[in-house]
Parts: sequence; structure tokens; C-alpha cells
Amino acid sequence: MAAGIPTILHVDMDAFYASVELRDRPHLAGRPVCVGGEASRRGVISAASYEARRFGVHSAMSTARAQSLCPDLVLLPADFEKYTAVSRQIMGIFTSYTPLVEPLSLDEAFLDVAGCERLHGDAVTIGRAIKADILSETGMVASIGIAPTKFVAKLASDLEKPDGFVVITADRVREVLDPLPVSKIFGVGDRTAKRLAALGVERIEQLASRGRDEVLHEFGATGAWIHDLAHGIDPRRVTPGRQEKSHGMERTFPEDVSDRGELRKLLYEFCDSVAFTLRERGLRGRTVTIKARYWNFRTVTRSHTLSQPTSLGPRLFATARDLLERVPQGPLRLLGVQVGALEDVRAPRQAELFGEPLLAPEDERATKAQAGMDALRKKYGKAMVKPASAMRDDGVS
Amino acid sequence: MKLLCDHQRLREGLALVNGIIPNKATRQALENVNLVAKDGTLELVGTDLEVALRLSIEDVKVGEPGTVLVPGRVTADFVRDLVGDTVSLETSGENKLIVSSGSGRGELPTSDPDEFPVVARFEEKGALSVQGGTFQKLVARTAFASAKEQGRYAMHGILVMVEDETLRMVATDGRRLAVSSAPIVGDGGPPRRAIVPTKAMQAFQRVITDPLEQVQLQFTDSQLGLRTKRAEVFARLIDGEFPRYTAVVPTETSHLLEADAEQLARHLKLVSNVTTTDARAVRLSLSTGRLELFGRSAAAGQASAQMDADFKGDDCDIAFNPDFLMEGLRNCESDVVRLEFNDRTSPGKFTLGENYVYVVMPITVDI
Repeated sequence: MAAGIPTILHVDMDAFYASVELRDRPHLAGRPVCVGGEASRRGVISAASYEARRFGVHSAMSTARAQSLCPDLVLLPADFEKYTAVSRQIMGIFTSYTPLVEPLSLDEAFLDVAGCERLHGDAVTIGRAIKADILSETGMVASIGIAPTKFVAKLASDLEKPDGFVVITADRVREVLDPLPVSKIFGVGDRTAKRLAALGVERIEQLASRGRDEVLHEFGATGAWIHDLAHGIDPRRVTPGRQEKSHGMERTFPEDVSDRGELRKLLYEFCDSVAFTLRERGLRGRTVTIKARYWNFRTVTRSHTLSQPTSLGPRLFATARDLLERVPQGPLRLLGVQVGALEDVRAPRQAELFGEPLLAPEDERATKAQAGMDALRKKYGKAMVKPASAMRDDGVS
Repeated sequence: MKLLCDHQRLREGLALVNGIIPNKATRQALENVNLVAKDGTLELVGTDLEVALRLSIEDVKVGEPGTVLVPGRVTADFVRDLVGDTVSLETSGENKLIVSSGSGRGELPTSDPDEFPVVARFEEKGALSVQGGTFQKLVARTAFASAKEQGRYAMHGILVMVEDETLRMVATDGRRLAVSSAPIVGDGGPPRRAIVPTKAMQAFQRVITDPLEQVQLQFTDSQLGLRTKRAEVFARLIDGEFPRYTAVVPTETSHLLEADAEQLARHLKLVSNVTTTDARAVRLSLSTGRLELFGRSAAAGQASAQMDADFKGDDCDIAFNPDFLMEGLRNCESDVVRLEFNDRTSPGKFTLGENYVYVVMPITVDI
């Protein structure tokens, strides 16, 4: 591509969860706000407002630590249904400009606007318009980076955060990359950064000036990758509709749980929720994996492949429950379930002569009943429909 | 060992034995063919431990009886390319076999015949007599339906059964099933059954050169043996549980289609072009006097074709993997193929010939 205006955008919402909460609670404006779990329940911070960040609070930090850094911290519970709804709005804005949208998470996406110029103008015009649309439609602020590659676009969106808008043209890539620490390279984690530092490489410029063979020799395939990125070379394309490979849910408990009845109940809740999401996305999965982390952080996983994929909670639960039996007894601090080998529900399925029927009669009934319950849930919220066993504590008689 | 042998017979014999000899064996001796010369015959023996074949060539002028091991591949290739009507085989020193014919001459390395596994002799007693052509036909009718992929152990073979003066073969890969039977003349003796690796059954099929010849079958606990006039083949049985196949062959059905087999195959091939490996399905839409075929995939578009057909039942749709149907139709022995089924999620039963049924599980699209 000739050195003109690059076409790859990276759009990243600023302190997304915290911003959504602040937008809905204007009286908290200016105060350090966090979304996360309570310290008493060993919660962690999911998102911190910029005011909170000034105290050194950041996401993934334990809430206890965050509160000790910032005693006036306003802690709010996460409301993922709300964030998902806002996320849909934002993704909708993206797709109104280009079909090439690759979401990375609820609040982050790559866009390629090549070929959209005649309709919407160049990338800078589109970037400005998207920023304005997001603000007017959701009341939220996004940072945008525009560059010739995904890697540099992502760097660019981060350079002037919050409320950033940075364009890096091909001829400026070198000067932007050079002074940055190597840890900015996607794929350079703590360990690689330390090994690089031991070789006297701390800035991207130093990595780029090393011979490719040398880096390759030292780091193997990763070496080739990070050396390319250090040179601003990143062949990854923006691929829309990146297929989700698995979907799961896990929870860290406020206190270790040993009681199997309690764990089964949680497992049911997870399976039900995961199944609901799968149905909502028109997917079904074939492998069920449960993950259990003990009080001492020892983690075990157990997996089973179903003969036929499913998106029914009770089906997933039946398997997950059996898998739980194969997990040694002991106090758990975390339990999770994941469904993999996902496929579109419309994918044709070859039936087996000697296996289970594709759809047992009880499943056929369950599928129909499920559709009705899903409709209720979508209208009135997830708590609307629950199995009777889960209602005991709710005061419902 | 020293002998003179007809070139063409030796060439054909080596080619047959070579079909069994493994290219890369854990035991080097297995990559060899064992030549045994005695009493006017030359025996060629090869095995991969699953299947063993002993082939006799008659009318051989044996000057010096003896036995040697020579590399299977090289020997077969060398003999194939010789010119001349007669081939001379003669050991020289400790480890050489001189092979010559016409002006061509080769020295092939030999190894110790004691290294070669013992291959049993065919046991006449209690053997069952079947016409060669019948055996071949039943293998051809069923082998294609046996499992190819790993992990379906018992389905990697053909179930061979003898019962009530009937020889029956069944093969399945869990998604489709072929069953065929033929009467056998005379007393079949007690009921017998064995799961024989498909590869071995194909070797059996190859050694039968005359379809009118009666061949002998011997069932033991671990082997199935077959003897023809000039060959003995032994197959190690699969020790597994063959699926209860009778339960999946529909007996009463509510839909019956009769269609021209060749035309159906042609239409299936046409429409399947737009289906992809992850969406390999062709939908058959049936109504009175009419069969329509539909195929579609996100990547390759969609296609349809229509044909006249006899149909009894309520209008309905059923989808199948077109490859399964085309494989079956390739074996269809009558002009008209018959399809019977109950609904779009239960097995379709195709009648491909007399005493020849092919059952295919449908593909369900949507739920």
C-alpha cells in the first residue's frame, strides 16, 4: 500500500465498565469508581475509572488491595447484561461504517475501512465520526488508533488514552515504535521481557536492530513474531465474525467450598447460564470441561466429549456433574465449566446408527420448553425462570 | 534351491503376495516373501501378521528343493520386468538368489528363513464349501461401508456369518450399514460368525480367480481361513463386539420411493458439488411422482435437480450425506433403487439388489 492514510482502526472504550456505571450514576462523577467484587468475597477489580487509576488502582488487582490504596474508592458490582447491551450498540456503530469488524472483547475491536472511502471518507474521517457517534449514542468516550497494521493501531489507541485519537502513517511507524519498551509488543510478557533485558534489549528500537537469526535462535517461533512486530510488520488481517471456539463461566468463591451439594448447585447455575448464552448466539457445543481450583491453587480440569453437541443446560449439567465426581474432594476456591467444539445450530448433523439418537424425545420437548423460557428471560431478566431446586432460598413458596 | 518356473505365473503370484507384505514392518523378516520349492511346486508365502497368504505355483521344475527369504518388493518388481517365458531361481552361496530369464539376470539378497513366522496349513476338517463368486460378491457389496477412521475397532471389519444355509456379510461405519447374503449349497454345519478385517477380506477376494470354483472356509476362534485350488489365506479375527445391526434395519416403513438408480446417482453428484465437507448434505424432497434434490452451503452456493419417481407416503423431506448414497448406488444391481424410511430422523433403507440392503442414517438440518 502506498504511504497514505492507513486503514486499520483500533477502537477501545475508556474504562468501559466503570464508564457505563458513571454514565448511569452522574452523582459519582469525579470520584474514584471501580467495578468489581467485594473484598470480603475475595473480589478483584474488573475496571477502574481514571480517577481511581490515579491512586494506582487497576483492573485485575484484588479489591482489598485497591481499597487500601484508595480508601474512598466507590465499589460497584458488575452488571454484564448492561455492558453487553452497550457493547452491542457500539459494535452496531462500527458495522454501519464497515463490514470488516473484529471484536476483541465487549469494548474493543479492530476495523478495516479499506474500500469505504467513497461512502464514508478516509479512515481519519471515519474514526472521528465513530468517536462522535459513540459519544452521542451511548454517552461514552472511546480512544481510537489508526495505523497500517493491527499491532500499531492497538498501540496508537493506547498512546493518548483517555479520549485519544492517534494516527500513525506508515512513514511514522518507526519513530513511534523505537522509544517504546519491548513489553508493548503483543506477545512479549514478563518472562520474555526479562530475557530480552538480560540481552540488553529494553526498547523496541534495540530489538529491531538485532539480527533476525539471533532473535529466532534465542526465542524460536516467538522470536520471528516479535522481531517482525518490532519492525512494524504484522500480516494479520482484520477478520470479522471470528468464530468463538468455546464458552464458559467460572467463579472464585468468597470462601472455599467443600460441600459437593453446594458445588453441584453452582455447576447447575453455570451450565444453565452458559447454555442460555449458546442458544442466544445460535451455537451448540460438544465438549464439556470443568475446572476446579483448590484452596492451595492447585487446579484440575476434567473433560468429556458428548456424542452429539447440545445447548441445553440440563444436558451440560448431567455431564458436568459426572465430571465433578472425578475431581478429588477438597476445599475449592474456584469452580468453572466450559463448553467447547462449538458449531452453528444450523450445521447439518450426521446421525449415528448405533449411538444415542440425535435428539431424544425428552430433548425435543426440552428444546421447545427452553425456547419459551428463553423468551421470558430475555424480557424479564435471567432470574425470571429457575429450576425449583434453586428457588428454595429465594423465599418463593 | 534351484528351479525353473513359468514367468507369467510367478509374476502374478508375486504381485498377489506383495499386496499383503508390508512396506515397513517392525520385524524386517516380514518385508520378505518366503519361497519354498518342493515336489514340482513353488510356494510363495507373505504375511503382515494380520493376514497371511500361501500361494502355490504348479508345474515347476524343481532341481533342488529348498527355502529362502527374499525382499518382497524388489523381487516382485524385478520378476515383473524380466523378459522371457521361463524364470530360473537358484541360490548361490549363503545369501544370494540368482534370478534370471532371457538375457536378464539379478542377484537378490536372501535371509534366514527361520526368521519368518510360521504360517499354518489349512485344516480341511469341518471346512465349509462356498462358490468363489458368491464370496467375492458379498465382499464387494459390503466392504465399502466398513469404518475407515480410527477408533471404531469392531467396525474395521466385515461380519461374516453362516447360518441356516446362508452366508451373510455385514459392514458398517456407524452411519451406514450394508448387509448382503447368499444361499450356500449343502449343509452349512453349526452357525458360525467372525469379524474379519476389511483389508483381509479384500485379499481373500483377490485370490479367488475363478468365480465358479468352490472355495473352502474354515472358522477358528482366532482366524478365518480360505482355501482355493492354489492359495490359502488366513486372517486374524477382530476380537470385538459387532454392533447389533438387525435392530437398525427398519422393518415397517411409512414412505417408499422407487427411482431410477443411475439418474439418482447423476443428480446426487450434480447437487453435491455445492456442498462442502462441513455441510455435506443433500436433501431429498419427496412428493407423489416426484423427487427433488437440494444442496446448499454458505461457501459454495446452492443447487437443485428434479426427477420422476414412484413415491408412496405423505410429502416429506429427508437429507443424507451424498457420498454415502453415491457409494451405495455404485453397487446397485438393479435399474431401480428402492428407498424406505419412516421420518427425516430415522434410518433410510435402500434395496440395492436381491438380498442386498443398505441402511443410511440421515443428516438432520436444524432442530
